[in-house]
Amino acid sequence: MSNTAKTSATGRPSLGSLQKRRTADVKGQVFLGLLLLAVGLAVAMVLAVLFSVIVDGLDVLGSRLWSFLSNPSSSDPEKAGVVQGIRGSLLIAAIVSVVAFPIGIGAAIYLEEYAEDNTFTRLIEVAVRNLAGVPSIVYGLLGLAVFVQSLRGITGGSSVISGGLTLSLLVLPIVIITASEAIRAVPSSLSDGAYGLGATQWEVIRTQILPAALPGILTGAVLSIARALGEAAPLLVVGAAAFYTTGFQGFLDQFQGAFTALPMNVANFAKLPADNWAGHAAAASVVVLVVVFFINLVAIIARARITKKLGR
Amino acid sequence: MTATTSSRPAAARAATWTPVLPTVISRGAAALVEVLLYLVLTIGVAIVEYYVAGPFTDFGPSNWWIGFVIMAAWTGWHWAGAQGPVGSYVDHYIADLDGMPACFSCIAVRQLTRFGVLFGLPFLILDSNVVLAVALAVVSGAMIAFTPDRRAPWDLIAGTVISQSLAGETTRTLPILTKPSDLQLSNQRVAENKRARRVLQSAGVSSIVVSGLIVWSIFSEAWEFVAASDFSWGLLRDIGWFPRRDKFDLSTLFVGTLWITGIAMLVAGPVGLGVAIYLSEYAKPKVRSIVKPAIETLASIPSVVLGFFAISFISPSVLKPGGSVFGIDFGIFSLLSAGIAVGILTVPIVASISEDAMRAVPQELREASYGLGARPVTTSLRVVFPAALSGISAAFIVGISRAIGETMVVFIAAGGSGGAIFEADPTKPGQTITAAMASLGAGTDSVAGSGIAFQSLYFLGALLFIITLVLNVASDAIVRRFRQVY
Repeated sequence: MSNTAKTSATGRPSLGSLQKRRTADVKGQVFLGLLLLAVGLAVAMVLAVLFSVIVDGLDVLGSRLWSFLSNPSSSDPEKAGVVQGIRGSLLIAAIVSVVAFPIGIGAAIYLEEYAEDNTFTRLIEVAVRNLAGVPSIVYGLLGLAVFVQSLRGITGGSSVISGGLTLSLLVLPIVIITASEAIRAVPSSLSDGAYGLGATQWEVIRTQILPAALPGILTGAVLSIARALGEAAPLLVVGAAAFYTTGFQGFLDQFQGAFTALPMNVANFAKLPADNWAGHAAAASVVVLVVVFFINLVAIIARARITKKLGR
Repeated sequence: MTATTSSRPAAARAATWTPVLPTVISRGAAALVEVLLYLVLTIGVAIVEYYVAGPFTDFGPSNWWIGFVIMAAWTGWHWAGAQGPVGSYVDHYIADLDGMPACFSCIAVRQLTRFGVLFGLPFLILDSNVVLAVALAVVSGAMIAFTPDRRAPWDLIAGTVISQSLAGETTRTLPILTKPSDLQLSNQRVAENKRARRVLQSAGVSSIVVSGLIVWSIFSEAWEFVAASDFSWGLLRDIGWFPRRDKFDLSTLFVGTLWITGIAMLVAGPVGLGVAIYLSEYAKPKVRSIVKPAIETLASIPSVVLGFFAISFISPSVLKPGGSVFGIDFGIFSLLSAGIAVGILTVPIVASISEDAMRAVPQELREASYGLGARPVTTSLRVVFPAALSGISAAFIVGISRAIGETMVVFIAAGGSGGAIFEADPTKPGQTITAAMASLGAGTDSVAGSGIAFQSLYFLGALLFIITLVLNVASDAIVRRFRQVY
C-alpha cells in the first residue's frame, strides 16, 4: 500500500504521496492482483506445456534416444523412430528456403521500393494481408488441388515436393511482411545519399537498402522456416504418409516418393492407442520443440551478430 | 594488361586503375571447380563409408547426394563470390566476428561449423554415423589450420588460384568525367534497373496468383458439392457428420466450431488482455524482458504439440484429477479439452496485438491522467483502454479467426475422427469444420473415388475461407475506422 502511494508501479512519480490520502487503494490492488494472475496463468501455461511434454517423453528419449532419432516408422513401439520425419522436415526446410525466400523477399522489395501507389499495388497488399490470415489447412486444399493433382507429373503426387511447395506458399505472406518491415526500417538518408551520387534505383537497392535490411530480412526468413516446420495440417491434407517403408531409394524417389514430417510424426503417434504410444508422441514433440526453438535461437543470435557487424 | 596503361598519356594514367578483377569466366570456372571438388569429396566419402560401414543401409546412399546437392546449389547460387560460398559466408559471419586472423580455436570452430553442417550433419542425422561425422570435422579442421591464409585447400584452388589466373584480362579504366554527358546513365545500367524491376514485380504478383489459385481450386470443387448435394437446409441437417456415408450435417460442425472458439476465447481473452495491460502499463523493463519472451515462446510452440498436451495433460490432470469433477464424466477426448488447448495457442496472439495497441497510446494521455491525480488502475481502464479499444477488438477478432482455423489440436484432442453425431455438450467428443477437413484429408486417397465426400472437403474449405476472410477484413476495417489519430 505505501508502495503505491509513493511511486506508481511504472516508476513514474505520482502525486499520491503529496495528497496525504490514507484510504487504501483497494480497487487498484485487486486490479493488479488480477493482472498478475493473468500473467501467472500465461507463464504457467508455457511451463506446463514444456514440462509435461518433456516428462512424458523422458521415457523414450532416456532409454533409446539414438534409435528413436535414427529408426524409421514401425508398428513395434520398441523400434519406431522419427528419422523419416527428420528427413522430410529437412527437405521441406530446403524447399521453403529455395522457393519462398526469393519470391517473398523479391515481392517485398518491389512493394517497398518500386511499386507506385495505385490500385494494382493496393491489390497486392490486400492479397498479402489476407493470405496471412488464411487458416493453414486451406493451404493444404490448395496444395492438394494444384500440386498433388494438377501437377502430379512433376511432383509425383503426395510427395515432399508437394508438401514443401504448399508450405512455401503458406509462409510466403510472412516472409513478405517481415521483409517489408525490415526494408521500411532502413533510414532514407542511406538511399538518398546513393541517389545523390547518381545511382540507379536497382543500384541503391543492391548496395544500400538490402545490406542494411539484411538482419531483419534474415530473421523473418528463419522464423518462417520455424513456422513451416511446425505445421502439420496442410501436410495432412496434401497426404503425408502416416506409415511407410522404404528400401533402397533412387535419387528422385527421395523427392517424389512417400514422405512425412516431424509434426506429422507427433500427430500420428498421438492418434495411436495411448498405452503404448503416448511416450512416443511426447518424445517426437520434444524433438519438434528442440528444432523449432533452435531455429528461433539461431535467428536471434544471427540478428544480433549481423547487427553488431554492420555497426548499428 | 600493362600494354593498355603504358599507351596512355601521363595525366590519364593517374585515373587508370588496374585491379585484379574476376571475370564472368573466371568466376564461373572457380564455381565449377568448387562443385567438382565437392563432387569428388562426396564420392570419396561415399567410398570410405562403404568400406567403413559396410554395404548401403536403407537410408545410406542418398545422404551424400543430399549434401552434395545442397553445396552445389549453394555454389551455383553464389558463384559470383569467386571463392566458394561456404568459405565466404562462414568466414565472414563467424570467423571475422570472432576476431579472425590467428586464433586457432576460432578456425576450428569455423571448420567444425562448415563441415559439421554440410557434411557431418547428414551423416549424423540420417545415418547416425557419429564417428564419420566427427572424423570429417577434425580432419578438415586440421587441414585448414595448416594451410596458408587459413583457408580450406579446395577454397584456395577453386577461389584464389583459378579465378586470379583467369582474371588478368580485365583491366578497368576509370572514366574521367570531363563533360556533362559523362554523367548520363549508361544504357546498360538503365536496362539493368528495368530488368530488376520486372523480375521483382513478377515476385510481387505471386501473392495475387496464390490468392487466385486458392479461390479457384477451392470454389470449383466446392461448387460440385453444392450442385451434387441438392443443397438445402433439410439435407444438411442430418444426424451427424459422416461424409463417407453421405451424411452431411453442417450444424454438427458449426456447434463444434462455436464451442471450440468460445472456450478458446474464454481462456485467451482474459489472460491475453491481462498480460497485455500488465506488460504495457505496469511491468518494469526488467520484468517485461522476462515475461514477453515467455509469452512469445508460447507462440512458437507447434499446434500438434498443444494437441498432444490436451490429451496427455489437460484431460487427465486438469479436467479429471483422479475421477470426475462435478459428477461430469470427462473422457480423454472432449471439445472442452481441445478448446482450452486452442485457447492457450491464442493467448500470445491476443496479448501481443492488444499490447501493441496500448503501447501506441501516446504517453501524454497517461501523464495527463496521472496529473489529474488518477491512480494506475483508473489510468489503465478509463484512459488507455478506451483509447486502444479498436486495436484490442481487432486482437480479439484475429484471435477468434485463429481459433476457428486451428486444426491439429482439435483433430488430435476432440475425438470424433472420421465423423461425429450431433453433440451440443462440450464435455463430449465433437468435431469442428477444420477437424472434419483434416479427417477427410488424412484419407485423401481412399476418399477420392467415393461419391461427393471428396468435394465436401473443398466445400468446408470454402466455408472456412469465407469465415476467416470476413473476420480478417472486419478487423482491418475496425482498426482503420476507429483508429484515433493523435
